[in-house]
Amino acid sequence: MDFDLTPEQQERVEAAREFTREWISPNSAAHDRSGEFPLEICREAFKRGLMNSHVPKEYGGLHEPVVDHCMVMEELATGCSGIATAIDGNGLSQYPVILAGNDDQKRRFLAPMVEELMFSAYAVTEPEAGSDVARIKTTATKVGSDYVLNGVKWWITNGSVASWYFVLARTGEELTGFVVPADSPGIVRGPKEINLGQHASNTVRVTLEDVKVPERNRLGAEGKGFDIAMATFNHTRPGVAAGANGITKAALNIALSYAKRRRTFDKKLISNQGISFKLAEMMTKLDAARFLTHKAAWLFDRGLDNAREAAQAKWFAADVAMSAAIECAQVLGGYGYTQEMPAEKLIRDAKIYQIYEGATEIQKMIIVSKLLRMREVH
Amino acid sequence: MFNDLRRLVGRITERFKRGFYGPTFRCPVCHLVLAAVDADGNGLLVCPVCGAVIEIEAVYGHIVPVVLDMELSRPQPKLCLHPLATHLPIGLFPFALLGALVLLAVTVAARLGLPGARLASYAPALASAILVLLVISVAAALATLASGLWDWNFRYRRRTYRQIRLKIACSIVFLVVGAAAIALHASGAVFAGSGLMRLDSLAGLMAASVYLVTLGGDMIVLATLGHVGGTLVYGR
Repeated sequence: MDFDLTPEQQERVEAAREFTREWISPNSAAHDRSGEFPLEICREAFKRGLMNSHVPKEYGGLHEPVVDHCMVMEELATGCSGIATAIDGNGLSQYPVILAGNDDQKRRFLAPMVEELMFSAYAVTEPEAGSDVARIKTTATKVGSDYVLNGVKWWITNGSVASWYFVLARTGEELTGFVVPADSPGIVRGPKEINLGQHASNTVRVTLEDVKVPERNRLGAEGKGFDIAMATFNHTRPGVAAGANGITKAALNIALSYAKRRRTFDKKLISNQGISFKLAEMMTKLDAARFLTHKAAWLFDRGLDNAREAAQAKWFAADVAMSAAIECAQVLGGYGYTQEMPAEKLIRDAKIYQIYEGATEIQKMIIVSKLLRMREVH
Repeated sequence: MFNDLRRLVGRITERFKRGFYGPTFRCPVCHLVLAAVDADGNGLLVCPVCGAVIEIEAVYGHIVPVVLDMELSRPQPKLCLHPLATHLPIGLFPFALLGALVLLAVTVAARLGLPGARLASYAPALASAILVLLVISVAAALATLASGLWDWNFRYRRRTYRQIRLKIACSIVFLVVGAAAIALHASGAVFAGSGLMRLDSLAGLMAASVYLVTLGGDMIVLATLGHVGGTLVYGR
């Protein structure tokens, strides 16, 4: 067991940290207020190689291990998890192509994304089907050599800016995955949703009205879509957990900085045990969440089943982020409840980690399903 | 179209602010946007609006302000000369610009024989009124600058705030450009004896263009001054 970072990992983390300090944190409040998509920041992140890093080398990417990606993601989300989501949103839609796409599909959809700044989106959720993916109603009907897609996709991250979508649709009883170019006739992108937090992230409704998709854009065999969509999460959930860890780290840093300088009852705030214990708990929980996250990512990089560990990491890190954000506001007192300080934004941003990419309850179901297959826990 | 223009102006303004102010944060008490570079070597600064004594520290690029004290006994000038004086240039200059634009429209109408040409008989009076407005507003700007410097010296204790630096720079620009506009107007290069603009010759056309650009540019400078001054009064 080795907890040391390799020189390459150290370099990558420092590059992400510098980018966060220079580009993300100073602009986080402005994007949170305006809700404007952080295109300039994404452009700079793209230039610095902080986007699409998981694309395989043969298609121009870095094929970055998930452990490394988690470290980078934690740094970015420490600045602003909304902006980090905009930067990293491509990964969720690209992974189905990496996992199930053929060489032609990878060349057409992945390779261009490392050459110029482009976005893609994972269009699976529907108004009536969130965590229960099997309920989705979007249909894909075979007409000649094409499929015709009809349905409504909901809360699609990067939906307004995407050049293509990974769409899960029903072909008969089974679900099938497709890559749908965003300029296909019949695609209607809705307005940006006004969410509780992560305002910099672009979330929209995407409607598919008789959208023709050629057969060569189908990912894998017919009926394999559900497996592809679920397998994607084993890759992406550690990254989501890392984003939540970024929020925890931001909350801890802000609370610590404040507590060390603010004076109450003629002494520093941190001198009060009630406050200092909060910071100790935040630090410990952050480390625990990190270890779960890196373990889940490490298993994935080794090609081992990480479904349980990814679910554990995502659930735990999300809960830790939520509690850390609330405690940060508590340490800041009245100022923690105002928009002038970053604490209230952290609370709003943290909440989504308990919901997207499988709600906390779904993660627990996954963990239990794995436990049911065990005779003993070692 | 209007929204696109507004967005473009917003983007330019935002870029200027980012370049001029650098990293900013809001005063936790009055919400004034403050520049982190205005803090002293110990990370301390006093909010010019509410007097909050703030210590700042940047963690991961997030600026975390902590209110340490409130500066309550701030010298308040008995005669609020600066706020009063600002009303003259801010109130009069836009009318000078408006008058110049009306004269431009009347001149064009007169040349093309359009209905507005009937207003040409008022042109000499309007041209004189513009000159008077310009002279009063630019002269009053001198008094405004002087009273502003007085306030900065006493009320703000010569602390170097980005806002005040911007106001001083804009005031000087306003004075210089305003004086140039007055000189152009008074020289007769822009307006003929009839009060109409000299658009019939290349030199006249150029002089009129420079005159209008000068007035328009000065109006932008004045609006910036008013906006920044407003934030120093009301905070947010």
